[in-house]
Amino acid sequence: MEATLEVRGLCKHYADGDRLVEVLNHVSLDLAGGRSLAVTGPSGSGKSTLLNILAGILAADAGMVVLRTGEATVDLATLNDAERTRLRRRHIGYVYQFFNLVPTLTVWENTVLPARLNKRLDLDARAGELLDQFALSARRDTFPEVLSGGEQQRVAVARALVLQPPLLLADEPTGNLDATNSKHVADLLFSAAREQNVALVIATHSEEIAARADQRLHLNVDTPPLT
Amino acid sequence: MIARALLRFLQRTPLSTLMAVLGVALGVTSIVSVHLISATVAERLDELIPRQLAGFTHFLHRADLQADNYFDLRRRWRSGALPDVEGLSPLIDESLLVDTRQVRAIGVDLFSADIGVVEGAGSAAAEEWRWDGVWVDESLVDVVRLPVNGIIAAPPGTLVGDIGVVQDLLGWPSSRISYVGARFVSPWDDLRSLGEALLPGLDAGLPEVTPALSEAGWQIVSLARQHPASQFGKSVLFNISALGALALLVAWFLMYQVAVSWLRRLWPVFERLHVLGVSWRELGGYFAAAMLVLGVVAGGLGLAAGYLLAVQLYGIAIPQAEPEFSLDAWVVLKAAGSSVAVCLLGGAVAFNRARHGIPAERRLHAALILPLAALAGVAFDSSGLIGGFFSIAVLSVLTALAVVPLLNRLRLHSQRLAGPLLVRLSLRELFWYPREFSIALAGLSLAVATAIGVGLMIDSFRADFSRMLDRRLTYDVVVRGGDELAGIASELAATPDVSRLQRYQTVALRIEGAPFELIVTKVDAFEAARYGLSTPLAPDAALLSEQGARTLGRGPGDTLEVDGRELRVAGVFSSFGDLVPRVIVDRGSGLTGRLESLSINADDPARVLGAIRSLSSAAEVELQADLRRIALDTFDQTFAITAVLITIAMVVAGIGVYVAVTTLRLNRRSSTRLLHGLGIVRGESALMDLSLGLGLGAMAVVLALPLGLAFGWILCEVINPRAFGWTVALALSADALATPAFWGLVAAAVAGVLRFGRDEEGTHVART
Ligand SMILES: Nc1ncnc2c1ncn2[C@@H]1O[C@H](COP(=O)(O)OP(=O)(O)OP(=O)(O)O)[C@@H](O)[C@H]1O
Ligand SMILES: [Mg+2]
Repeated sequence: MEATLEVRGLCKHYADGDRLVEVLNHVSLDLAGGRSLAVTGPSGSGKSTLLNILAGILAADAGMVVLRTGEATVDLATLNDAERTRLRRRHIGYVYQFFNLVPTLTVWENTVLPARLNKRLDLDARAGELLDQFALSARRDTFPEVLSGGEQQRVAVARALVLQPPLLLADEPTGNLDATNSKHVADLLFSAAREQNVALVIATHSEEIAARADQRLHLNVDTPPLT
Repeated sequence: MIARALLRFLQRTPLSTLMAVLGVALGVTSIVSVHLISATVAERLDELIPRQLAGFTHFLHRADLQADNYFDLRRRWRSGALPDVEGLSPLIDESLLVDTRQVRAIGVDLFSADIGVVEGAGSAAAEEWRWDGVWVDESLVDVVRLPVNGIIAAPPGTLVGDIGVVQDLLGWPSSRISYVGARFVSPWDDLRSLGEALLPGLDAGLPEVTPALSEAGWQIVSLARQHPASQFGKSVLFNISALGALALLVAWFLMYQVAVSWLRRLWPVFERLHVLGVSWRELGGYFAAAMLVLGVVAGGLGLAAGYLLAVQLYGIAIPQAEPEFSLDAWVVLKAAGSSVAVCLLGGAVAFNRARHGIPAERRLHAALILPLAALAGVAFDSSGLIGGFFSIAVLSVLTALAVVPLLNRLRLHSQRLAGPLLVRLSLRELFWYPREFSIALAGLSLAVATAIGVGLMIDSFRADFSRMLDRRLTYDVVVRGGDELAGIASELAATPDVSRLQRYQTVALRIEGAPFELIVTKVDAFEAARYGLSTPLAPDAALLSEQGARTLGRGPGDTLEVDGRELRVAGVFSSFGDLVPRVIVDRGSGLTGRLESLSINADDPARVLGAIRSLSSAAEVELQADLRRIALDTFDQTFAITAVLITIAMVVAGIGVYVAVTTLRLNRRSSTRLLHGLGIVRGESALMDLSLGLGLGAMAVVLALPLGLAFGWILCEVINPRAFGWTVALALSADALATPAFWGLVAAAVAGVLRFGRDEEGTHVART
């Protein structure tokens, strides 16, 4: 089976003053639908940078990122910013560590936001099911500020799954949660990946979570600064 | 070191710094230009009062005044009965004809050292005076046959001489005088003149305090009331000054908003410095110093721009005169002072609120006390123009205070908001971050409300004015002045073309001490209808102008003594634009005056016009259609300044909204990142910005509508009567309501959508 996500020779550096900081150095990976990949590494090793490139929020300096959606196969490196944005909006779910929800939208509105942005009114029913499944139905009309951290992350996962995306990115999704909630959210992510045939990339500091993933990518900060 | 850091901060936020300076400079521009114009106009208005009378604060009148009455009064004064009076002097002030010229003859006591000093161009030294000589203004030099001691600066047709000389001129006995001039002193005098220097026209806005006079039989009339033309002009100035201050007030709101936005970013730094041992007082001092720098820069810019604007505005409002503006110490002081005050106060309030938050119970007290205060300013006529504007200011504060509670309340219901998600998302931000918006919102609604209030007043006024013109302009041709009027009249009476010929005799006189213009004409049914009366005027009846009725406190049915004759007031007519109150009587009353104008109806007005021109070259002839146009043009010119001042306030308010929206963006950085992650495209984020701007504009308009209506009502029913003696019936013109609302929305929408500088605002916020 062809991989949903295929990354080859990905490089990324930042300019810090007149110093160049090499963050990603020839990263390659393959990930099929229904499988999960844990990205680990010390702080500053480039986990978030990698996820941002996979999401098309950042452009890589070199290498290719091929995403196979149900409709087409695209190399993100060949797209401009506007095209990457459109791709992300339709085919990629993203869960952050915090500030996942728009404070001025209710739980329901936050959840259906991707569907509305894509003019997919037919997905309202699915959004309702997801909220039910994640035990959030009672919170439907409340605003995020009154939700607990665990609830907020569950809403974020539900939102990321509404569009049934081929690729789901999660950047330390449990970093702010206690053990119980952490496990609950991780369960949701991994089972969603398996059951809905989603390729899941999860950046994490937690060994426990990393151990549950099917594959693993470890990043290091050992790359020396170039001038 | 902290100072340098602050300056660097200002440098690194060039856009909000620029906006702040621009806003405050515009506020200063507005008050400087108004000041310059007002000071120039006030000076001219002062010239309307002959210098020899200007030294008095009040005039004492009495029926059948004899010199003995004066001497009695003087004796009582000397014995200490009138402690507030600093000087008393007999005066003659009458009009008479010299050849065919109407002359105002003023007789003063040349012996009284402290008053009535005659000076001016060509005035001779005292030894060279001739006691039987007179001082005249330039226009009379070749007219009078008396020896001329000198030329004085006075309104055309003014003659000043010793009492005896003027009595001779009038053919009066030496026992007769017109009235007594008095100078009352009050502990407020210095304060009032300081106020007048700072805000030309202010004096006309202060309540008039009539000193108590215990002596029986005397009527006391203030200098202002005895010279209504000058007072009229100053009232206009006061109104404009009040409006000019609006932009400054809105600039204060803006400065506060900017300070809030800056402090939001500086606060973490300040807190760190405080932990390191820098006291809050010191930090506040540095912040104030930064504000001071801004204030000085903005003040300088505003001063220069204000001068340029004054030249432009003067050209619009008074096109026939060349302005001479002087940037004297007062203006500089005012510009620098107000700009520094605005910056420091805005900064101080923001700083204190950042440190201590906003006390909640004060709001409650304000909500109870302010409406009462507003009511008091409106209810008590004796509070003068200041009272009316005080009410307006109080209502504005009340609205500003209502913003946050209102937004909080709306927030509770915001769940039910419908519409596209992104629009909902943006609109709710209004209710989520009320502190960021409240002041900018208040500023915008104040500007819109003022535009609505003034617009309503102008439209209502214009409607009343043109209704008055419709009723009054019933003649085809009007002929004025000239000595040939009598000749023209008899010539025209014989012309078959002329279907109606109306003769108006005029005379200036005093009724109960107040100056009036008496008009004597044949008031048949046709003429009476022009003043809203359905029947001809009886010989023992009179028509009073609204100002006259107000001056005397009389209405229909009351009686009135005019030149020794008892008359019944048959009606009161509206008289917009009159400087002096008028009383109209029928020819049958036996009163007479000088023939000063003719009004003519004719089948062919153009032919009559030609006939008059061939009879006399001196007579001024006007066609009815022209009169109407000129009257309305003058009306519109008068309000041109108003429009410019309101526009400035609106622009400043718009800048305030822009700053508020920018502050919000700082709060929303995580949301922005999130939405970007969800794949929001440029168009969608523009839609969100637009929704936020429009939502803010809509809120401002909602707040501004009731406030604007209240302003309009106060301007029509309170300010106009107090300033000019006439009432304007408030008419709710859709235009006056819709136009400011539209521009308010536009200003807010533009402020919401403008993107430039937004990224700059975030660059030095700690990276997350
Ligand atoms: N916009 C940027 N400009 C310059 N350097 C950046 C930028 N964003 C990230 N970096 C640097 O790139 C490196 C990798 O950052 P990244 O956020 O990807 O690390 P991370 O592995 O996610 O760390 P953490 O576990 O703390 O989240 C860091 O050294 C960071 O300072
Ligand atoms: Mg990270």
